[in-house]
Amino acid sequence: MVLGSLLQRLAASQGYFGQMPRYYGPQIRGGASGVKLSLDTTRASLPTDTVDIMVCFNWEKYAELKQELPLGIESIVFYDSPPTEGSLDLPGKSFQVSFSQITKELEGTPAAKNIVALGLLERILALPENLSKSAAAHDQASVLLERNGAALHAGKRLLPELSFDELRLSPPKDATARTVLHGNSAVAQGAIRAGCRTFFSYPITPASEIMEEMQERLNHGNGVFLQAEDEIAAIGLAVGASLTGARSMTATTGPGIDLMTEMIGLASSAEIPVVVVDVQRCGPATGIPSKSEQSDLNHAIYGGHGDAPRVVLAAYSVKGCYRLSIESFNVSEYYQTPVILLTDQRLGQTTVATNSDFLTKDYSMAQRKRPGGEHQEQYRRYELTEDYISPMAFAGDKGLTYQATGLAHNEKGRPSFDFATHQHMHEKRWQKLAPLRDRDELVKVLGREESRRGILAFGSSAQFVLETVEDLGLQDEVKVCVPELIHPLPRRLASFVGSLEKLLVVEMSYSAQLYHYLRSQIDLPSDTASYARAGGAAFSREELSGPITELAR
Amino acid sequence: MSGASNYRTEVTPVWCPGCGGFALLNALTRTALPNLGIPRHQALIVSGIGCSSRIPAYIDTYGFNSLHGRSVLIAQGAKLANPELTVVAIGGDGDFFSIGAGHLPHAVRRNLNVTCIMVNNFVYALTKGQTSPTTPYLQRGEGPFLSFQFYPPVDPVLDMVSYSVSTRASFIAQGIATDPSHLAWLIEEAIKHKGFSFVNVLTPCVTFDPPWLFKTIKEKASYLKEGEPVGLPDSSGEQPWLHDSSNITLALKLAQTSVMEKPHIGIIFRGRES
Repeated sequence: MVLGSLLQRLAASQGYFGQMPRYYGPQIRGGASGVKLSLDTTRASLPTDTVDIMVCFNWEKYAELKQELPLGIESIVFYDSPPTEGSLDLPGKSFQVSFSQITKELEGTPAAKNIVALGLLERILALPENLSKSAAAHDQASVLLERNGAALHAGKRLLPELSFDELRLSPPKDATARTVLHGNSAVAQGAIRAGCRTFFSYPITPASEIMEEMQERLNHGNGVFLQAEDEIAAIGLAVGASLTGARSMTATTGPGIDLMTEMIGLASSAEIPVVVVDVQRCGPATGIPSKSEQSDLNHAIYGGHGDAPRVVLAAYSVKGCYRLSIESFNVSEYYQTPVILLTDQRLGQTTVATNSDFLTKDYSMAQRKRPGGEHQEQYRRYELTEDYISPMAFAGDKGLTYQATGLAHNEKGRPSFDFATHQHMHEKRWQKLAPLRDRDELVKVLGREESRRGILAFGSSAQFVLETVEDLGLQDEVKVCVPELIHPLPRRLASFVGSLEKLLVVEMSYSAQLYHYLRSQIDLPSDTASYARAGGAAFSREELSGPITELAR
Repeated sequence: MSGASNYRTEVTPVWCPGCGGFALLNALTRTALPNLGIPRHQALIVSGIGCSSRIPAYIDTYGFNSLHGRSVLIAQGAKLANPELTVVAIGGDGDFFSIGAGHLPHAVRRNLNVTCIMVNNFVYALTKGQTSPTTPYLQRGEGPFLSFQFYPPVDPVLDMVSYSVSTRASFIAQGIATDPSHLAWLIEEAIKHKGFSFVNVLTPCVTFDPPWLFKTIKEKASYLKEGEPVGLPDSSGEQPWLHDSSNITLALKLAQTSVMEKPHIGIIFRGRES
C-alpha cells in the first residue's frame, strides 16, 4: 500500500490520472494487502482486469488476494523471492529482484524494500528523474522518501541489471498536478464545504476514514466532533445538534445503519434534518467488512417501522462523493428530512488522482425554511403549508418555543391521536419530497438518446458498466443511466426506462434489490434482465462484457 | 414564584391523579426554572418514552419527546451544538436504566453540562405494570407484586444511584416526589452545577406499585444536610458520620444503602465541574 500510494502521488504530481483500489483482509496489522494502480493520461479510469506490471513481496500473501489481483500472460512480474514450486505459474516476463536483500545491505533492515521497488518502477515507467523530490509535500510520505533516499537510488540502479526495456509512459495531457483522494475523504470534505460543523460517529470499516478526517477538520475549535459509544448514540447526538440548527452528520456502514434505523424514523417523523452516510460493505451481519457490496439499498429506502419517508442518494465516483455530500445537506436541510447517502467500500477507499476543480467550484447551498416575524404570535412548528415544508425554529430562538415529539402530532407539535391529523401529517411528510422527483441533474444518462437498449446501475458498479460499454465499443448501441437520486424515484429515470425495448440492471446484491425496487415503482420492458450477484470481488470488464454484449445483440 | 404559569403549556397531563409526575412538573415550572431565571427559549427539555417522558408537552420551553432510552443522547448533541442552552433530560427508570443504560457511563465520562432527571417509580407503568430494573427485590413466593406478574421479580435491583456514584457522575442527588419544594431546590442545584448532573426522583406509581412500597420509602427517608450526621438503616451498627458531599467514598456508602431501608434525600455527591 505504501508503494502504491507513493507511486500514485508521484505520478499525480506530474499530471497522471488514475485509480487505486485497496485489497486487504481481516488482519489487524500486517497480513495480506495489496493495491492495483492505473495511470492514465486523460482521466481517472479503472485499472484493467489483469495488470501490466506487478510487484510481489510475498507469494503466500498474494495467494489470499489472487482472486482480486489476477495475473495475465502478458503481465510483467517483479518478485522478492520465488513462489513455492508448483503453487503458481508465473508469466514469461517474470524477474526475481532481491528487494529485501538490497534494503538490508543498505539499511540493516528490509523495511524499506517498497522504496527500492518504487525506484525501480520510476525508472521502468521513465518518470522524470527528480520526480520524487518535486512531489514532496510535507507529510509522512515525503519524510519516508527522504529518509530512504539510498534505497530509492538503489532501486533506480536496478533496471540496467535486468534484461528488460523501459516501458515509457505516454506523457500526460498536461503537467497540472492532480489531486489524490478517496471517496471517504471526498465525503468528509464535501460535508465541511456544506457547512457541517457537528459530526458524530462510531468506528467501523470501511467508513472510519470519514470520521478520522472529520475529526481532523473539526479540531481546534472549528466545530464539534465526538466519537460516540455506539451508532445509536452517533445519530442521536446528530439529531440533538440539528434541533439547534446545526448541520449534522454521521457515517457508518451496514451494521451501523441497522442500529440507526429507529432514530431515522424519529427524524423523519419529527422532521429533523440529518445526513447519514452508508459506506456499504458485504452483509448481512458482519459479512466481509473490507469488501464492497450494494445490499443496503432496501434498508436505506425502506428500513424501519411505520411509513417514514427519507431521501436516498448514491454516489458513483469520487467527485460524486464530494458533490453528493453537499447535496445531501441541501436536501436534508431544505426538506427537513433524513438523507441517506450511499457509497460503498470500493468508492470509499479507492484513492483517485484527478483534477481538483470540483473542490473549488461553486455549489448552491440550500437552507432550512425559518420562521419570520409573523410567526411570533402563534408559531406552529408543523404548519401545513403549500409546499408541505414548515418553518423550523432552532432551539434557542426567542419567542418560538415548541415541543417536538415522535408521537403522532398536530401542526403545533402537540401529541394528537386524531386519525385525520395522522393522515394529513403523513401526506405532509411524503408530499414535501415530491419535487425531488424532477431533479433531472441527479440522474446521469450517457449514450445516444435514440438507443432502445439501456443499462441501469448505481454506485461503484456504474463505473464498471460505463467502462465496459466503452471497451466493447457499444456506446452507440447501448445507453447507460446512473441515478444519484434513488429515492424518491426520479422522473428522468422513469423516462429512461420508458424509452427502452431492452433493459439490463446491474448491481452487486444477491437478491437484486435495485431491480426489485424498480419493478415496484415503474413498468419495466418485458425484455429486462437482471445481472446481480453478491459482493466481495469487484466487477471485471470480462465479467460484464457477457451480459452487456447480450443486451446489445 | 412569579410568572410560574409562563413555563406551562395549555396541555393537560395524561398522568393518573396523585402521580409523582405532577410534583416534578411543578418543581420545574413553578420553582426551578423561574428561580434560575432561565428564559423559556433558552431551555430544552428532552425526554424518552414512558409516563414521565410525556413531560415536554407540558413545559413551554423547547422540548423533544424522543425515543425510549435515547434522551440523554439528544440532550448532549443539542448542548454541544448550542452551549447557551440549559438542557435537561427527563425519563423513567426503564428509560434511563434499562434500554438506555448503556449511554449513561458515557454521558458521565464526557461530563457535559446536562442535567438528567430520572423519575423512578419502580415499575413500567405506561405498559401497565411490568418489572423495571429498580423494582424492589422480593423472594419468590411472597405473593404477586405487580398486577401482571405471576411471580414477583427475582432479579436483584439495579441501583441507579450507586451506579452513578461508581461511574463518578459529577453531581448526584436524590429527591422525593412528596416534597416538591426540596426537589425543586435539588434541580436548581443540579442545573447550576457545571457538568453532568444526575437527579433520582423517588416517585410512587399510584396505579401499579403496591401502596406499602412508597409508604415504606416515605417513612424511612432521611434528609442529607451538609456537616450533619447521616441517617443509617435500623440494622446498621455503624456510627453515623457527618455528611460531606465532596467525599466520593462516603457518597458510595450512602448510595449503597438499600432504598427500602434508608432512602437518602439530598445532594449525595458534588464533584468536579467541567
